[in-house]
Parts: sequence; structure tokens; C-alpha cells
Amino acid sequence: MTVPDWVRPVGEYIFREGLRETLRLAAIAVVASTALGILLGTLLTIRSRPLRAVIRVYIEVWRGLPIIVTIFLLYFALPGLVDIRLDAFAAGAIGLTLWGSAQVAEATRGAVESIPKNQHEAAAALGFGWAGRHRYVILPQALRRLLPPLVGLQVNVIQNTTIAAVIGVAEVLEAGNRSVERLTFSTADSHAFEIFAFVMLIFFVISFPLTRLSAYLERRLV
Amino acid sequence: MIIASIDWGFILDHLPELAWGLVRTLEVAAIAIFGSFVIGLVLGAARAHRIPIVSQLAAVYVEVIRNTPILVQIFFIFYGLPQVGISFSPFTTAWFAVTVWGGAFSTENFRAGFEAVPYRYREGSLALGFGRLATFVNVTLPIGGRIALPASINTYISVLKNTSLLTAIGYAELTNVSRSIAAVTFRDSEMLLVVAVTYLVLVWTMSAAMRGVEARLRLPEVS
Repeated sequence: MTVPDWVRPVGEYIFREGLRETLRLAAIAVVASTALGILLGTLLTIRSRPLRAVIRVYIEVWRGLPIIVTIFLLYFALPGLVDIRLDAFAAGAIGLTLWGSAQVAEATRGAVESIPKNQHEAAAALGFGWAGRHRYVILPQALRRLLPPLVGLQVNVIQNTTIAAVIGVAEVLEAGNRSVERLTFSTADSHAFEIFAFVMLIFFVISFPLTRLSAYLERRLV
Repeated sequence: MIIASIDWGFILDHLPELAWGLVRTLEVAAIAIFGSFVIGLVLGAARAHRIPIVSQLAAVYVEVIRNTPILVQIFFIFYGLPQVGISFSPFTTAWFAVTVWGGAFSTENFRAGFEAVPYRYREGSLALGFGRLATFVNVTLPIGGRIALPASINTYISVLKNTSLLTAIGYAELTNVSRSIAAVTFRDSEMLLVVAVTYLVLVWTMSAAMRGVEARLRLPEVS
């Protein structure tokens, strides 16, 4: 079987350049949104009203906005508002982290609140303060319950890295776009069908095992 | 200091264009939400009742859509499908792309809802002489549909938010209109703030209204 001439350079560009950028963006956003989300979600179960109100606003705003609007705000509006200029990669990573951490925070709150009250009371009776109670008793149990939805949410974060293509981050989708443009100019055929199908395939190969894992954890842990 | 730098008059001047964009957003969102609901209802029922062939095809559809990014799906439909002779108008591409995504998630919501209906309810209905279809319409749908409601609400809100991605293929909805105005006036901050506030108001209103519906329809038994 012979492979057409255009396939090799396009495949290499999408894999070498695009996939590297996608994985870099995904890694930062996944780690940052998980850490920040678990912290905010745990703080949300604290009794302090002002703190809770601030975190609630954070969650409702970044969950409510379409990610593309958040990324546009960071990339196009921030310079005019507060004179901060972010490059496209940073705007994408921060935008994804804001959305992801809001989602993770909400899931964490649910998981922490699902732990029965007597666990808190028993830990308090043993002399643990708030921090110790959460560190040794509540969070280890809550994290077990959080894991399945967390994996599902992070699959979404990984998929949403493609939105950074819109401001020009050369991740997988943008690499596909540029290939389509180049082919349209150099040959008459854009090969958009094959290229975007290939981009979908790349994400399917990454996402499918993770959504299976999430479903498996759901059955195992909950 | 932040507010002072915003030119409110500028926003007012462009309100008619933005309102037009908002209408285009709502139009696509309304079609897509309705379409997702119908697809989800039909395919979710087929999945839950393990109707041969339809159920397997629906499973493949759900897995493909759930495991690929919606923005890539939009590009595939807009740039890829015309390559193999399937072209739509921009408007059709717009609602079709967001409906296909919403339909898959909606299928999963309804499947889970219908499967959560205790089997004894359906047995009871069959014992009373209801046929399979009548059992579905009178028992599985009203109970399972309510169980599926919270997840469905989230899906419909996501569908509304996803219409903003259509800006990437140049479909003139709210986000795209604001970017077009910013492109010729360099008023990015004003435009994006208006758009952000509009989406938040839409999403929060929709979410509050749907929670109201959810509270009204709540089953006494399912907390």
C-alpha cells in the first residue's frame, strides 16, 4: 500500500509539534486545576461565610463562562483592563485552569460533604483540629469518592485544550488547521476530512481509556 | 480605575449589533437544546431497553462524541464533510454541530435515568396489562425522566455555552459579533466584558429556572 505524499509531513507536524504542545498545555492545566480545585472545594466546607462567598463567586463565574470567552478575556481584554499581557499559551493554560479548578472545587465539595458527620465528630473527639481532621480523616475518604468524577473532568480539560487553537496556540487542532491551509495553497486539495478525522482519532485514543477508567473507578470505589 | 477606563457610550452604540448576535446565539441554542432532548429521549430509551442494532449504534455515537473535543467536531463538520460531498449552509452547520454533541450527552443522561427506574415498577405495569410502549410512556418515562433531569439541565446549559465555539468557524453569534466589532474598533475589553456578563446572566438565569422546574417535578421517593 502506498501512502500519498502529503501524509508524512502532515502526520509528523501534528504529532511532533502539535501533540507536544497539547500535552504541555494539558499537563499544566490538569495538575493546576486539580490542586487548586481540591483546595477551594475543601475550603468551601469551612464555616466562614465571607470565605465561602468568595469561593462561590469564583466557582459560579468560571463555570458559567464559556471557556473560549474566558480565554479571550485573558488574551484580548486583560491588556486594556489591567495592563497585563499574556502570551497565547499562558492565556490558554490559565483559562483552562480557571474552568477546571471551578469544576473540581464543586466536585470536591460534594465529595467532602458526602462523608458522614460522625466522621468529623469522631476525629474532633480524638483531638484533631480542622486541618488534622481533614488531612487524616475526611480527605482520604473524600478523595476516594472524588476520583471517578475527577478523571472524567480532566478528560474534559484535555479535550478543551483545543480551544487554545482559537488564539493561535499550535496544539494538535491548530497544527491540523495549518496543515489544511498549507495543503489548500500548495495542492488544490485541503484533505480537511482526513486531517480533522485524524485529530479526532488522537483525542479518542487519549480520552477513551480515561473515560473507561473513570467508569471502572466508579464501580470499584463508590 | 478599571471601571473608569471602560467607555460605556461605546458599548451603548454597539448594543443593536450585540443584541442581534445574542438572538443568533439563542436561536441556535434553542434548536440544539430541543434536538438534543429528542435525540437523547429516543436513543436513551433504545439504550436502556437494549433494542438490537439501534442500541449498539447509539453506543458508538455516544463514545465517539464524548471522547473527542467538540471544537474538533465542529471543524470536521464545517471543513471536513464538504470534502466528501456533504455540505451544509453555515446556519445548518452551526445548529447541527452543537446538536450532535448535545444529543450524545443527552442519550447518556436518559439512559442512566431510565435504567435507574426500579424493575418492579415496570413489572407492576406489565402485570396491570400495559404493553411495552404503554409501560414506557406511563412508568419509565415519568420516573426515569425526572431522575435524568439534573444531568440533563447541565447538558442543556453546556449546549448554550458551546454555541460560543461557533465563532471559530466564523458563524456570527454573540461571541463572533463582539470579536468583529473589536477587530475594527480595538475595544476588546469593552466587548468581551459585555459578552462575559451576557453569558453569565444567561447561564445563571437558565440554571435557576431549571432548578425551579426540577424542584416542582421532584419525586417524593427520590429525595
